[in-house]
This record gives sequence, structure tokens and C-alpha cells, in this order.
Amino acid sequence: MGFLARLGAPVRGFLVFLGDQAHLVAQTLRYGLSLRLDQLGVVGGQTRLQVRFTGLDALLLVSGTALLLGAVTLIQAFSQLSGLGAENYLGLLMVLIIIRELGPLLTAVLVIGRSATAIAAELGTMQLNGEVDALAAHGVNPYQYLLLPRWLGVMLSVFALVMFFDAAALAGGFLVAWLKHGVTLGFFMDSVRDALMNRDLVATLLKVVLFSGAITFHACHYGLRIRRSQTEIPQAVTKTVVSALVAVFLLDGLVTAFFYF
Amino acid sequence: MIQIDDLALDAPDGRPLLAGLHLSLERGADLLLLGPGGSGKSQFLRVLAGTLPPRAGRVRVGGVDTWPGAGVLALVGHLRLGFVFAQGGLLSNQTLRDNVALPLRFAGVPEAEAAARTSAALARFGLTSVADGRPHAVSAGDRKLANLARVAALEPELILLDDPLEGVESDDRPGVLDLIRGWAEDPARTVVLALEEPGPFAGLPARRLHLSSNHLSPSAEEPR
Repeated sequence: MGFLARLGAPVRGFLVFLGDQAHLVAQTLRYGLSLRLDQLGVVGGQTRLQVRFTGLDALLLVSGTALLLGAVTLIQAFSQLSGLGAENYLGLLMVLIIIRELGPLLTAVLVIGRSATAIAAELGTMQLNGEVDALAAHGVNPYQYLLLPRWLGVMLSVFALVMFFDAAALAGGFLVAWLKHGVTLGFFMDSVRDALMNRDLVATLLKVVLFSGAITFHACHYGLRIRRSQTEIPQAVTKTVVSALVAVFLLDGLVTAFFYF
Repeated sequence: MIQIDDLALDAPDGRPLLAGLHLSLERGADLLLLGPGGSGKSQFLRVLAGTLPPRAGRVRVGGVDTWPGAGVLALVGHLRLGFVFAQGGLLSNQTLRDNVALPLRFAGVPEAEAAARTSAALARFGLTSVADGRPHAVSAGDRKLANLARVAALEPELILLDDPLEGVESDDRPGVLDLIRGWAEDPARTVVLALEEPGPFAGLPARRLHLSSNHLSPSAEEPR
């Protein structure tokens, strides 16, 4: 009996976690839809702060990473496929590797590292200091003031960062193609345009929505669960990173399978 | 205003604090919650505010079922509540001014009126010079006063005060006492005041509830 209980405990824990995530999403949507016009200024202000931290402050990091990744991808492609006319597959390579997969995925990984950790630590500290209770007690709904702006802010930021990531990666790839093979910008862009399909855009948008939800609500779940001591904060941050990474890779696999399998 | 039936409450360590408490408090009536440290006064206030679920029992505040129920979220938009916390309670990433103004702005008070009420409340407690500092940059006494200023600006119907004089400088105490007495005498407001000893509030025409570690089922005494 004890063995069965030990076996079932992680399953039960996972189901409880899923239930809590669903509850957080449902409550945030419910209270988000019931926001009054006169509350939009406060919520908008919080959303702007989140966009500044998650999006604007990460722009250089994401663009730099993407530029290098785009360049490295084409250096490797040329080194392996130079005898097979790799320059004819430039666009296809960039779209397949960067735009469809690595753009959204690596952006999400960077946002988890920078922002999900910060959200979990911030909410955990607020919870310990009684700030969340104080907000609610004074009529400020925490779902509207804390969760909704973080969700919207992360979603807008991830969308913008993915666009910048793709653009910077294409720029990095073009630089290599131009320096090594004298490929012109027109040829490069035509090649990318030919390889791009409408479903790539739809899949990317779906990933942005799903990834930002997973990142935000994993961070909120672990941050708001903190109740007793400061030592829980690093634990919550670690759990957020591991759990959000697993969720993002899982969702990426599901979306890719749905659109391209 | 407050209706409590068969309330049972545990301490965070699982120790029972209260059992079988019945209490009814009409709008405008006040309650002095008395007991030594660790007797459950703060937990009791948090149950009333809807931020802590009791172990058992039914709590109805302002005509809204909070326990069992959605707790504080059930009260949002139905009842203006003010809570002066024993410690903390202010947003650490906001200035004192923003802390005081936020509930007003969220309640839909027009921006100009919210700013005027915020400035007046801060000025009343002598906090104007530190109003644009964050809570960690001011003294514990000023943080307590900012808690009071937030409640004063909000003008709530139900006011929960957890040891409101703790940490307040002796120069500021008369102003705080006057304010709390004014709230208690206002027939439109219900005040629940948690203290170890009645002290300067001994003469307040309020019902009294004594909490202690060896008496789990207290009953509220009528005003003296």
C-alpha cells in the first residue's frame, strides 16, 4: 500500500499542478474580461513595466544571440553542403532552422532565464511580505493587477523578441552568405520569401501565445505558492525554470507535429 | 456587517486558536479584539478580510459569504475594506504616495480626486516629505502611518486595525488616536481593533472579544 502511495504521489502532484495552472489561467481570463474602463490605466501601466523589463531590456541580448546563431548556422551549412550547392538552399535552411524552430524556442529560453525567474522571485517576495493580501484587502484584485499585466507583458514581449530574433538571425545569415559567396541581399531575401509559408506565421503566433502563457503561469504558480520563508524563493525560481523549460519544449513539439508532421 | 458562525481557527503551526465562535456585528458597531501575542488576533483579522481561510465555520462580511467562498475576491467591488497591518502591507516597489493612491485608482476614483485625497491623507500624518520614497527608505513608524493614510484616503466601510499604535512615534500617537476614535464613532463605519491591552482605547464604546491560548470558545462582551 505504501509502495502504491509513493508511486501515485508524483502523479497526484502533477495533476494538482495542472489543476492549479488551469485555475490561474481561468481566473486571470475571468477577471481580465471584467476589468472596468477606469482600471485600464493602472493595468496598462503595469503591462508597460513588464514589456520594458521582458522585452526592451532583453532586446540587445536576444538580437546579439540571434545574429551569431544565424551566422553560425550558415557557416556550418556551407562547410557541410558546399559541394551540393548550399547557396541554393539558403532561404530554406534559414526558414526551417531559425524561423520555424529556433527563433521562438530560444527566445522563450532567454525569457525564462531573465523574466520567469524575476516574476517568481518578485511574487514570492510579495507573498512573504503580505503585499498580495494587502492588495486584495484594499480592493485591488491580484489577478487583474499582478497576473494579467505580467501575462500580457510577457506575450507582447515574446512576440516582439521573436520578430527581432528572426530578423537578426537572417541578418547574421546574410552576412555570412555575402562574405563567403557574394550572395546579394535581393537573392537572399527572395530565397527566404520563397521558403516561407503562411502556416509558418500561424505556427509562430501560436507558439508565442502558448509559450508566454506557460512562462507566466509557471512563474506565478511557484511564486505565489511561497508562504513561510525566504529560503523558498530560490527553490521556487529553480522549479520555475525547470518546469517552464519542459513545458515550452513540450508545446514546441506539439505545435511542430500539428503543423508539419 | 460581520456574521460569524461556528468559527474554528488554527495557528500556522497547527495549534488550535479558536473553536465554536459565534459573532454578529452590525454596521457601525465596533469590536475590540484583545489577547496576548500568539493568541490569533492577526489570523482572526485576516479571516475577516478574506485573505486566510478558517479551519471551519461560516463568515459573512457586508452581506457577502467569504468563507466558505472566494474569500477576499468575493468582497472586491462589494465592500470598501481598509486594513492596517501589524507589519508590512505596503508594496515595496511603489512609493508611499502610490501605495496610498492605488486602491483609489483601482476603485475608479477620478485621477484628480484620487491625487487630492492621497495628498491630504499623507499630509495628515506628516508624510508629505517622504511621500515619494519607497517603504524600505522610511522608518517603521512612517510605514505604519502610511498604512493608516491608505485607509484614511480610501474611506472604507469596514476597518481592520492590527496593533495600530505599534511602532508609531509618541509625537504621532495623538493624531492616530483621534483618527481611530473618529472612525469608531462614525455610524457608517465598522472598526475591528486588535490589541494586546485596550490601553488608550479602553473607553471606546465597542464590544470586546478576549482571545487566549487556554480559552478556545470566547464570547463577545457587550460595550461597557
